[in-house]
Amino acid sequence: MQMKYLKPILVTSALIGLSHWSGLSFAQTADQLYKRGLAATCANCHGTDGKGVVDGGMPLINNLTSEQMLAKLKAYKSGALEGTIMPQLAKGYSDEQLTTIANQLGKKQ
Amino acid sequence: MDRRHFIGQSAAAVGLLAGLSSQTKAANLQKAEILVIGGGYGGATAAKYLRLFSNNTARVTLIEPNTSFISCPMSNLVIGGSRTIAEITSPYDTLSKRHGIKIIQDSVSSMDPDKKTVTLASGKTLRYDKAIVSPGISMNFKSVEGLAQANKDGVTLQAWKAGPETVALHKQLAAMREGGTFAISIPEAPYRCPPGPYERACQVANYLQQNNPKGKVLILDANQDVVSKGALFKKVWAEQYAGMIEYRPKSNVIGVDAKTKTLKLEVEDDVKADVLNILPQMAAGEIAIKTGLANSNGRWANVNFLNFESTARKDIHVLGDAIQVAPLMPKSGHMANQHAKVAAAAIVAELNGWEINPAPVLTNTCYSFVNNREVVHVASVHQYNAAEKTFKTVPGSGGLSPAPSILEGIYAWGWAHNIWADSLG
Ligand SMILES: Cc1cc2nc3c(=O)[nH]c(=O)nc-3n(C[C@H](O)[C@H](O)[C@H](O)COP(=O)(O)OP(=O)(O)OC[C@H]3O[C@@H](n4cnc5c(N)ncnc54)[C@H](O)[C@@H]3O)c2cc1C
Repeated sequence: MQMKYLKPILVTSALIGLSHWSGLSFAQTADQLYKRGLAATCANCHGTDGKGVVDGGMPLINNLTSEQMLAKLKAYKSGALEGTIMPQLAKGYSDEQLTTIANQLGKKQ
Repeated sequence: MDRRHFIGQSAAAVGLLAGLSSQTKAANLQKAEILVIGGGYGGATAAKYLRLFSNNTARVTLIEPNTSFISCPMSNLVIGGSRTIAEITSPYDTLSKRHGIKIIQDSVSSMDPDKKTVTLASGKTLRYDKAIVSPGISMNFKSVEGLAQANKDGVTLQAWKAGPETVALHKQLAAMREGGTFAISIPEAPYRCPPGPYERACQVANYLQQNNPKGKVLILDANQDVVSKGALFKKVWAEQYAGMIEYRPKSNVIGVDAKTKTLKLEVEDDVKADVLNILPQMAAGEIAIKTGLANSNGRWANVNFLNFESTARKDIHVLGDAIQVAPLMPKSGHMANQHAKVAAAAIVAELNGWEINPAPVLTNTCYSFVNNREVVHVASVHQYNAAEKTFKTVPGSGGLSPAPSILEGIYAWGWAHNIWADSLG
C-alpha cells in the first residue's frame, strides 16, 4: 500500500536530483515505526541505531547478535549480570520490549 | 524559484500523473512543512529523527541562532578547568549535510498559531504545518533584585546556558583572591538540571583544591535539601572537600548588590562572596511564553505526553526543559532527546494517517562529575500510563550509583560523545 504512494516521490527526487529533501524512501508500517521509536530510547548512550561512537568510552553494542543482546538485557534485568546503569534501566522495560529492542539493534547477519 | 516550492509542485504533479489524489495521507508527510525552533538537545534530535523516522521524506527546517551547539552537560568541567569549551562544542552542519535538514541561522521573534506562521528576527515569515518548539529555558532575572543589571555588567554570571558565560565564570574562579569564596545560589525547583548546581560546586572545589587551597565554596539553596543525589553529594563534600564546601539549605537569594558583592537572603543575614554565580528562577524559553504555550502557571508548557503537542495550541509540539514535566521527570538533556523521539515518531505517524504509538517509553540517565575523574549517576525509565495520561517511572527500575567511580567517569564521557552524535551527528 505505502509503496504505491511513496514511489512517485522517490522518482521525483531522483529526477530533480540533489533536492534538500530527497533521499531514500521505502515503505514502513506503523508497527515498524513504533519499534524504531522504542529502540531509539537506547541511542543516547549507545548511538543512533546502536552504532556508538568508536573509542568514545561507552561500551559498544553493535557487535552483538539479537540473541546475544536479549540474553544480556535479560541478565541485567534479573540481576544475574552486574553493571553500573544497565541493571537499573533494564528493569524498566517489559520482556517484550527488551525482545523488540534486541531484534531492532542486534547485528544483522 | 524557491527549491522547496519546486519540489512540492513536482511531487504533486507526478502524483497527479500517477493518478493519485493529493489528499492521500502518505503524501501529507512529504508535503507538510515542519519547522523546528531551537537546535538544543530537544530540537536538534527532533529534526534528525523526523528525517530518520520518515525515511528521509519529511521536510524539516531547523531555526537556531547559534552557529554551533555548546553542550550544557559537561560544561561544569569547563568551569572547573579540566575540559575546554572546544571539547563540548559540536557543529550544526552535519544535520544538513548528512540528513538533509534545512538550517536557518536566525531566531524566531514571534509565532502566529492561528495563521501557522513564524516570524524571524531578520523579518522573514515562514509558514508551517507542524512546529516543534524546544527553546530551553528563560532566566527570570527579576526574581532577584539587582540581578538583571549585575548580569548585564558581567559582575554576576549564571552560565546556565553554556557559552561565553561558561568561559567567563572559569576566568572569575581562576582570578579569585587567595582564600576567597565562590558562592552559588540555587532557585526553588523546578529548574534546569536538578543535580547541576551540586556538580558545579564539586568542580569549583576541585579547581580550588589544586589552585587556591584556602578558597571556599558556599552553596545557597532555596530548596529544603539537596534536590538530586543528595546522600552521594553530601558524602563527597564531607570526604573529598572537607572544610571547603559549605551547604546551606532553605537559603533563598532575593537580592544582589553588585558593588559590594553582597547577597540578600529572604530570611538569613546578608552574605558576601568574591565570585557570585546566581541562578535565578527559570521558566520556559521566551518564545514559548510569548506564544501562549506556557499554560502551567505561565511558566511551563503543558503537553499531551503521547505526542508532546501543546495543550494550548494545535500543531505546536513542545519539548525539553520548556514543558511542565510528568512526575519524577527531570529537566535534562537526555530527557529532551527522548521527548524529541516520541514527538518525531508521533508526527510521522500522524502525517501518515496512522494511530500514534499508544505506549511510548522514555529513559533518563544523568551523570555528575564529583571531581575531574569520578562520577555518580541517577537513572530512570518512564512508561506511558494511558489511564492517567502521563509518564510514570517503573517501580524497581532506575536508581543511583552506590558511590563515585572512575569507570562511571569513562561512561559519562562516553554518554556525552554518543548523545552529541545521536542529536547532531
Ligand atoms: C551546568 C549544566 C549541566 C548539565 N548537565 C546535564 C547532564 O549531565 N545530563 C543531562 O541530561 N542534562 C544536563 N543538563 C541539562 C540540559 O542542558 C538541558 O536539560 C537541555 O539542554 C534541554 O534541552 P532543550 O532542547 O530543552 O534546551 P537547549 O538545549 O537549551 O536548547 C534550546 C535551543 O533553542 C534555541 N532558541 C531559544 N529560543 C529560540 C528562538 N526564539 N528561536 C530559535 N531558537 C531559539 C537556543 O539558542 C538553544 O540552542 C545540564 C545543564 C546545565 C546548565
